[in-house]
Amino acid sequence: MGEGIVRYKRDVWGEEVILGVSWDLLWVVSVAILVLLAAHAIIMAALANKKMEKPSAAGRRVIRHESIDRLFHWVMAASILVLILTGIAPIIGLRISWLNIHWISGLLLTFVVAFHIIRSLFWQDFVSMILGPRDFGEPFDSTRKPGKYSFEQKGMHWAVTVVVLAVIVTGLLMFLQIDSPFWERTNSMPESQLGLVFLLHGLSTLALVALASAHIYFALRPEKIFYTRSMVSGWISEDEMAANHDTSLWSPKEAD
Amino acid sequence: MVATSHDVMPDIELYQPTDEENALALANTLGADGWIVGGGQDTYGWLKDRNKSPAAMIELTQIDAWKGIKEIADGIEIGAVTTLTDIANHPLVQSRYALLATAAGKVASPQIRNVGTLGGNLNQDARCWYYRRGLDCYRAGGNICYADSPEGLNREHALFGASRCVAVSPSDTAPALVALDATMVVASSSGERLIPAQDFFVGPERDIVNMTVLNDDEILTAVRIPSTWANAEFYFEKVADRNVWDFALVSIAAAFKVSGGSIEDARIVCGAVECTPRRLESVESAIRGQQRSEELAASAGEMATEGARPLNYNHFKVPLMQNLVKRAIRG
Repeated sequence: MGEGIVRYKRDVWGEEVILGVSWDLLWVVSVAILVLLAAHAIIMAALANKKMEKPSAAGRRVIRHESIDRLFHWVMAASILVLILTGIAPIIGLRISWLNIHWISGLLLTFVVAFHIIRSLFWQDFVSMILGPRDFGEPFDSTRKPGKYSFEQKGMHWAVTVVVLAVIVTGLLMFLQIDSPFWERTNSMPESQLGLVFLLHGLSTLALVALASAHIYFALRPEKIFYTRSMVSGWISEDEMAANHDTSLWSPKEAD
Repeated sequence: MVATSHDVMPDIELYQPTDEENALALANTLGADGWIVGGGQDTYGWLKDRNKSPAAMIELTQIDAWKGIKEIADGIEIGAVTTLTDIANHPLVQSRYALLATAAGKVASPQIRNVGTLGGNLNQDARCWYYRRGLDCYRAGGNICYADSPEGLNREHALFGASRCVAVSPSDTAPALVALDATMVVASSSGERLIPAQDFFVGPERDIVNMTVLNDDEILTAVRIPSTWANAEFYFEKVADRNVWDFALVSIAAAFKVSGGSIEDARIVCGAVECTPRRLESVESAIRGQQRSEELAASAGEMATEGARPLNYNHFKVPLMQNLVKRAIRG
């Protein structure tokens, strides 16, 4: 079996085929993301006294996330974390019965993502998440404020979308290769295709580890923590909204 | 890598420590690169076929402290490099734990038992021929099970507990030791731990590349058998394609405490139906306190195979297992 980004093996006919991703990359990704986030934290700490005063959470409140969307977010977050932990367990040598938990979490993720896609297309303000030319200028112009979602938030959302869809599609194909309560596996997928599926699942997993780490880090940063609070309670204050968003581009309802 | 048969061993370092400390230090230093060898009967095939390529072998049979059978406060202790012949013929084992003596006497052939050790028999790797052939299956770190595929030949494979890999535990002594409630003594340079025999073996749902819970730096040094089941009524039967030099298609190791025809307690363990020795706890509960009878044996046999998921070519194992359980209970 070769090493590098891709691992290879000989199939039953002796031909070299892809086996999957090299899991050494897990350590590379983990260290790289830790270094990047640590560097960000240090830079932000150095710039902290130049920052403006933190907007107040007191006063009138506006709705940022409906309860159904918060529920979706946390179910998706939990299922992704369980998927990452159970998927990584055998790679780092933890002896747990991980496979059933993994595919059950995978199915849960598939259902909530399908629900989210349908809801966002027909019942939510889908346009507010679309990245337009205006968004790309935002990081370079401190006077420009976003609508409901900032450039970074939209970028993170679409990156997570691509990666999560990739893990779901490849995960479902892999699910077909194991016995489940719904079917008995046939093990009939050609080995070269199977290897490609494993490779894409592995690569998207690595990307998901990086994105989830970055997402959790930013969710816990002091200047962003009000977004995390809004993902729990649903609201942000008008002061927080005015400080971070362009009210002409986003007109939320007032919270009760 | 697909197997290439050679008649010679590869170029490999050989360490032959003569004391425990050195052996554990070597295991610790070499880690996954060190291959622990007892009698070598599982090892040499792997290495000659070039399907496993450890950097070094740590051969344990020079260590006297890990050899022999002795009485301890509650039962006996058998050193892990004691040969299977010694175990099968030892008067203490024969008189108190005849189940183990019989099981050890059924392993492979007389020649193999003369050099094969208890530790080697318990730690031997899966006998799935796709895996042994050197194919990159799940157990070899790959992403497919060749045995459980449309064309796969799986006559010897698992009825229970398959999780991607369908290989079974090939050990004859393992079911006997689980039935006897044995404890595995496992040492490493950082200390010793005791593991109940039932927890020593691990299935593919928890670890698809190893068959025991041993870590790379650990060595099974001894097996302790408590007096709990000493002198009980035992039943061991191994069904294989040949009477000698073969692995079980299904085996059974059972211990009974019987009083006046009534089964007071029982331990029943099947081999070669799962990746670990399969203890039949539901059957044990069902027969506990019951009078031995043909009906009880028959119903226990049916119960034993509940939940079995036969593969394409191993359906015959279901009635085979049922009959072995029936015969064990019938006595």
